[in-house]
Amino acid sequence: MAELLAYLARQLVDEPDAVRVEEVESEHLVVLRLHVAKDDVGKVIGRQGRIARALRAIVRAGGARDGRRLVLEIAD
Amino acid sequence: MNEELRVESTGETVGEAKWAAMRKLERVCPGLDKAAVRFQVVSEGERGLLGVGYTPARVVATVDEEGRAESTARSDEPVDIALVRGLVTRITAGMGIQCSVDMAEQEGGIVATCSGRDLGLLIGRHGQTIDAVQYLTNAILARSIPGRYAVVDAAGYRARREASLSALARRAADDAVQRGGRVELEPMTAVERKIVHLQLKDVDGVETTSEGTEPNRFVVVLPSS
Repeated sequence: MAELLAYLARQLVDEPDAVRVEEVESEHLVVLRLHVAKDDVGKVIGRQGRIARALRAIVRAGGARDGRRLVLEIAD
Repeated sequence: MNEELRVESTGETVGEAKWAAMRKLERVCPGLDKAAVRFQVVSEGERGLLGVGYTPARVVATVDEEGRAESTARSDEPVDIALVRGLVTRITAGMGIQCSVDMAEQEGGIVATCSGRDLGLLIGRHGQTIDAVQYLTNAILARSIPGRYAVVDAAGYRARREASLSALARRAADDAVQRGGRVELEPMTAVERKIVHLQLKDVDGVETTSEGTEPNRFVVVLPSS
């Protein structure tokens, strides 16, 4: 899932080389922390947060497939 | 020189192992034809009892140079369609959904239809997952080819949803007329609201409008004054 998230983010930003996904596991959930170049943060959030919302829905569903709770966080 | 491409994969069953191997190959050769792939079963795997004695099925898949060449030959489909196919295939595979993606061109838009297992997971509650896949696909498509639009569908989901939205719209119209008051519908995406507006456009005695802000924007049906 982290791989897919990184792939999608690279398609959306101007600096694909700066995209990095950090996987932070805690007891009940896994946080996927998405890092992008400073000027690209808006691109992965989108107008009215729509891109971020779509990414979240995909991450959540992908986690549900293996019974994991996955949460997306966008690092700033 | 005949350069073979070879991958090894595992799965709970031979079928799943083959499927996983196919996905790995597709990542290297997009649009690869399954007929060009040779599978060799290394181990059938053991289901085991209550998890004891479980061993995964293991297969080796190979494609020769010729098969790889054909995979690129097939990508002579228009770039926009190839792009959408690649994206939807990649997203569904990344989510662990086993499905195939068929492409079509309809009313000026690209339609990617997924069929296979786990489609309920792809669609999600109230279609929110498939709408997310479609939204991201369009956001990425717009970056390279502005003005093109893609619909992501799953085994007739969009048609079913449109039918149920139309029925909902008609019920809301009856309700509004009978009670002589406004009827508020659930929040919907812009495309879904449009279906409702169009359905009631020519219905006598009611008018429609949208209220609220995204993502909670909803249709209101009210008796016409």
